[in-house]
Amino acid sequence: MKTNNAMGDRRLKFDRLVAVYYMDMFRYAAWLCRDRSIAEEVVQEALLRAWKSLDALRDDAAAKQWLLTIVRRENARYFERRRLETVDIDNLTASQSALLAEAPNEELNDLREAIYGLDDDYREPLVLQVLMGYSTNEIAELMGLKQGAVLTRLHRARLKLKENAADEVNS
Amino acid sequence: MSQATENMNCTDYKEALTADPGFNDASGHAQTCADCQVFSAEMLALNEKIAAALEIPVPALVMPELPVIETDNVVSLSSRRVVSKPAWFAIAATVLLAAVVGIRMTGMGTSYGTLQEQVLAHVDHEPSALLPSTTPVSDRQLRSAVPNDVASMSHEAGLITYAQSCSINGKDVPHLVMQGARGPITILLMPHEKVAEATTLDGVNIKGIILPVGNGSVAIIGDREEQLDPVKQNVLDSVMWST
Repeated sequence: MKTNNAMGDRRLKFDRLVAVYYMDMFRYAAWLCRDRSIAEEVVQEALLRAWKSLDALRDDAAAKQWLLTIVRRENARYFERRRLETVDIDNLTASQSALLAEAPNEELNDLREAIYGLDDDYREPLVLQVLMGYSTNEIAELMGLKQGAVLTRLHRARLKLKENAADEVNS
Repeated sequence: MSQATENMNCTDYKEALTADPGFNDASGHAQTCADCQVFSAEMLALNEKIAAALEIPVPALVMPELPVIETDNVVSLSSRRVVSKPAWFAIAATVLLAAVVGIRMTGMGTSYGTLQEQVLAHVDHEPSALLPSTTPVSDRQLRSAVPNDVASMSHEAGLITYAQSCSINGKDVPHLVMQGARGPITILLMPHEKVAEATTLDGVNIKGIILPVGNGSVAIIGDREEQLDPVKQNVLDSVMWST
């Protein structure tokens, strides 16, 4: 009975975490790998790994960072396994294109493409800061960087996006 | 690159802002520099657009098949706590306490008196809302139950599993249930129920509070061991009528 209670509690806790953070997990994975189908696979693997290691999560307040760290590792594992080529933005697969679809207007679509085209090193901290609401200190911790490096990457990412927006206006 | 703000010039300010549009301009540079004020507005606008662009549609969750975990070495989450009670017990106790209040008031032949009594009685009216759930209400249902001029409530606030427009003192009141660590938490947003000061609600297994907010109030009720402070903060941050 005690075992069943423990399992029930464990599953309840897991379901709550997933219900609250699933959207963040998927969006983070999608912007890391830039492919909806791969993001779905990465999230599935991340959910399995989170379930197996749920007892390692002692502080519920740290759940979001814990889950995103798992997503990040699973994404890295996926690409280690597949050794995929880098993405050519002018020659996207259907699944890659799907990530850029459904933008509500042309300006947003252009910006989404520009973000898609950013180097991984620039895109990831931007996603963590803007979408996940992380501070530069938290981003540094998650990415294993110094805060200065994070600030530099964020600065360059926004400059590139700003330049891109200006080019779109001029063209 | 650093975010040091002492003796900041335009270049430093723009670099810091481009790296982090939310950075704290302790030097007050932008207040004295029209060019940087314009730059700041542009950067904030760009950031909002970036946020919108990053919010790609998310497919429905498909939970993978989760393997059975050997739980012999797993400590029950309930038993980890010094005083542990299953969530269902707290829920039953909540309903029971509310029922007792309701019966007492009915038996006395009086209408519901204080706001505290009405709040507890209302919880009793909709016990189904207090079932543990992992299914969030839809955005549409949430928007329907919580008008924009009452609160700006989103799923970021937590796992909201129940959202209905109810009535207290003849006025529409958004009734929400959020899943807390110790079970369901009831939230009533009452823009027309002014209270002079915060009032606690104490039961055998529940606790709660009615907080004054502008010309109205907010009631939050959960398990006795639930940490309500983060919920309070989330809810108060979302309430619009006081602003």
